[in-house]
Amino acid sequence: MLRAEPLLRIQLVMLASEAQDAALTLARFGLFNPAPCRVEALAESPAVAYREVWLEAEARLSKLLDACGDTGPLDLPDAAEAPSLADLQEVNHWLKDVWIACSDCHENEAQIEEVRSHLGALEDTLAKLEGLNVDLAHLLRPDSLLAVNIGSLPAAELKRVTEALAMTGHLVSRFDQAGDQVFAVIAGARARHDEVRGLLAQAGWRELPVPDELRAHPQAARAWLEAERARMDVQSGAACQVRDGLREQFGPRLHEARMRLALARPLAEAAQAGISGRGGLAALSGWIPRRQLNELRATLDARLHRRYWLDQREPAADDLAEVPSLMRYPGWLKPYVPLVKSYGVPRYGELDPALPFAITYLLLFGAMFGDIGHGATILLLSLAFARRLGRAVWIGTAAGAVSMLFGLFYGSIFGYENILPPLWLSPLHDPLRVLTIAVAFGVGFIVFTLLANVHNQWVAGRVAEALLDSSGLAGLAFYLGAVGVLASWTGVLVVAQPAAILAGLGIAGVAAFKWHETQAGLGERLLVTLIETMETAINLFSNTLSFMRVAAFSLNHVALALAVFTLAHGLDAVGHGITLVLGNIVIIVLEGGIVAIQALRLMYYEGFSRFFSGDGREFVPLRIEKA
Amino acid sequence: MHDPTAMSAYLDTRVSLYAGRLLPDEALEELIELPDEAVAEKLIGRGLPQLAMGYDRTDGVQDSSSLEQRIIVQVLDETRVLIRPLSGNARRFLTFWTARFEMSNVKTLLRSKMTGERPAAILARLIPMGTFGRLDNEDLAHAEDVGELLRRLEAGPYAAIVRRARRAFEQSHNPFSLDAALDRGYYEGLVQHAQPLEETVGEPFRSLMANLIDRINLVWLLRYRFNYRLPPAQVYYLLVASRYSLPSARLRELAALDSPAAVLGALHAAWQARLSGVKDIPAVFAYMEHAAAEQALRVLRSRAPEIARAFAYLILRERDLRAVRAVLRGRHLGLADDDIRLALRRGPAELS
Repeated sequence: MLRAEPLLRIQLVMLASEAQDAALTLARFGLFNPAPCRVEALAESPAVAYREVWLEAEARLSKLLDACGDTGPLDLPDAAEAPSLADLQEVNHWLKDVWIACSDCHENEAQIEEVRSHLGALEDTLAKLEGLNVDLAHLLRPDSLLAVNIGSLPAAELKRVTEALAMTGHLVSRFDQAGDQVFAVIAGARARHDEVRGLLAQAGWRELPVPDELRAHPQAARAWLEAERARMDVQSGAACQVRDGLREQFGPRLHEARMRLALARPLAEAAQAGISGRGGLAALSGWIPRRQLNELRATLDARLHRRYWLDQREPAADDLAEVPSLMRYPGWLKPYVPLVKSYGVPRYGELDPALPFAITYLLLFGAMFGDIGHGATILLLSLAFARRLGRAVWIGTAAGAVSMLFGLFYGSIFGYENILPPLWLSPLHDPLRVLTIAVAFGVGFIVFTLLANVHNQWVAGRVAEALLDSSGLAGLAFYLGAVGVLASWTGVLVVAQPAAILAGLGIAGVAAFKWHETQAGLGERLLVTLIETMETAINLFSNTLSFMRVAAFSLNHVALALAVFTLAHGLDAVGHGITLVLGNIVIIVLEGGIVAIQALRLMYYEGFSRFFSGDGREFVPLRIEKA
Repeated sequence: MHDPTAMSAYLDTRVSLYAGRLLPDEALEELIELPDEAVAEKLIGRGLPQLAMGYDRTDGVQDSSSLEQRIIVQVLDETRVLIRPLSGNARRFLTFWTARFEMSNVKTLLRSKMTGERPAAILARLIPMGTFGRLDNEDLAHAEDVGELLRRLEAGPYAAIVRRARRAFEQSHNPFSLDAALDRGYYEGLVQHAQPLEETVGEPFRSLMANLIDRINLVWLLRYRFNYRLPPAQVYYLLVASRYSLPSARLRELAALDSPAAVLGALHAAWQARLSGVKDIPAVFAYMEHAAAEQALRVLRSRAPEIARAFAYLILRERDLRAVRAVLRGRHLGLADDDIRLALRRGPAELS
């Protein structure tokens, strides 16, 4: 729970023809995180083609499922085998054919829709041209000296097209607009008409074909339009039948294709990390939990019948940055994990801060927001909204419970300080003691983070940093010594001399380390060492004082309640009640929110930043697609 | 660091530091003559780690297929640094400036779909846009044909530009229509993005935009009119609408002329003087680019507002990188040093 599970680097060499089944077996095993395979003897990449075909097929399947709807739950039998490259190619070709058929069907429907809207526009045009009292038959005469086009183009292009056409003596007259399309008549000398064809095509001009029927009597034109509409309705019905037919015809096989692609996914995904091979051999590399090695062997034996070779080794020192971290958490701790991961993933071997985070976060929240009534409200609200909150409900419940516990310690219930006697202390009556306890907690917290950092640096092989850096043992010695001197000075302890020696040794160690680490000229080196050593001291103490906010917020809580009571006392009975209720809501929402953020801030900035690199890699195992 | 004054000082300093990386002609000359094993080190020294990465020190073999990509990644890396302190119109402008490379990806996708290339091969040819990328290349590369690709693009961030290109393509089924519509759409978008900055930043920024758009319009006009022999009206339509030295009325007049010499003769006196003796369109481009580089250098060395200096730097940096590309390609192909120098065709950008 405090560290990532020990992993082993494995290399599985098998027949290339069985690579897809091996990957599927590893995905079913569920605890194999693929990693790039770096064996010089196996310089080829045998799964690249497989991944490429799978990606194409998967893209086509996804489009088909979007167009035709889901094919139902996916139930992959345990005995099912992954498809070979040839099988996958066959599925891919079939999906391509189906998509083309489906795409044609869609295209057909889109064209019908376009013709329909065109007919609508034609009808409008007819109505407008009728109103203009223009003889279309005369206007559109093919043997006229005047060439006339009626059609539409994007409204944004109209100005530019008009200017360009003016260069050839053509006129543009706009007579309607529908959406972003402008309907216009273009007229010019027929002798120069060829000059504008390219321009009109480039500008997206769409000719409005005026059929012979429309050039006749308006009534005849309308009859033609209605006939065309009826024809489109028939075509549309036929298109729907074709689409439904496609769904019925291909549905079952589409489901089968989906299954085969799901079975092929492990090798395709592992190929992204890199599978190497040579001749008829392929090698898969990656990480598994050390304690699962025998189980993996048994699984591979059952599936590959000993036609494989499995090599395993412990992570090497230069591997550490690449080793993923597999963390296992008990159910009650899982809700806190996203809060830790929002800062980063623990590096392999590093201390996982989830458990100390959960404990300290709750303690800080309770200390800053200690009130039986407010805590109970948070607890009950969390339970009431359990479904919406999901796992976060446990954070709310625990925060409420801890707030209630500190409420008992402080003797505070909905801001009333005189109902229950405090079990421990009352922040309002003993503020100095609260401040002292907060700072003492801060000292303890910072000592913990420094120790955690020493551990993490040591595990990562950075021994010098672990011993001598400002967040290492030397920094810790200085910090403890300085705290001892201050405690002796205030009369709490009597360890002034040994504490001063410890602090001096610590800061000298830090300064020596900084001097050694700085690569520069003498003056700059001196300056950097001096400033960084001073910064070490200042940071440690400013971070400690930062914990005074814990006391400040516990006092703030009481002060806010007092303000609410003062306001309520000036009002009549009804006003008094309303003010108390609203005041408590404000305290819970506003102060509760601020305290939750402040506790998180203390954890991130005073805690994690000192020992938690957060640049680890999450353990992402190969998995098979579930329904 | 959200204080505008601090941001401005940061960007000014950053541009000044970057300006030291620009390559004088002697540096290119040196790069032409260097032995293979010293090239990578030289490139790193000039702040070109992306290019050095592709240069094999051991045998001088260079991955020429990815050189273009590496150059653009280098430009994007530097733009990312320059853009960091910017906000509002300035940030939007520089972000859109990088969209040229994404337009190039769109063209690659369209051409590849026309030739039925495999998605993996297409993806390998696309420019990695990093944080500037707004397109889902994986999804687009898996489109079945040009029609589906255009529909998907129309649902994306460049919908307005692509819609225009689709309509043009539907009418003509000519790849040229697609490219021309995409180019025009992009540069008109750039002019729109520049407009608010021209009002606030003023002449230094406007002069950079004017040099860019005027050059593009003049070169396109000559190419479309006299190489592709398109009619004047269509040529005018394909040019970028602008308000710089070549406004619409002027472009209409130039497009109606019937020879390159007549077009160059009808330009205003300053340009005529500059382009006198120029005989072909690449030479027109080279001379105008030279003029633009001189202007950019002037802006970079002036006390102009920081966004103008940043833009000037990016213009000069790209010009440098194109020259480095020419040198590296020339070396890779084993060309003689003099042939590489000829390929550079680079006039002096240093101010006298």
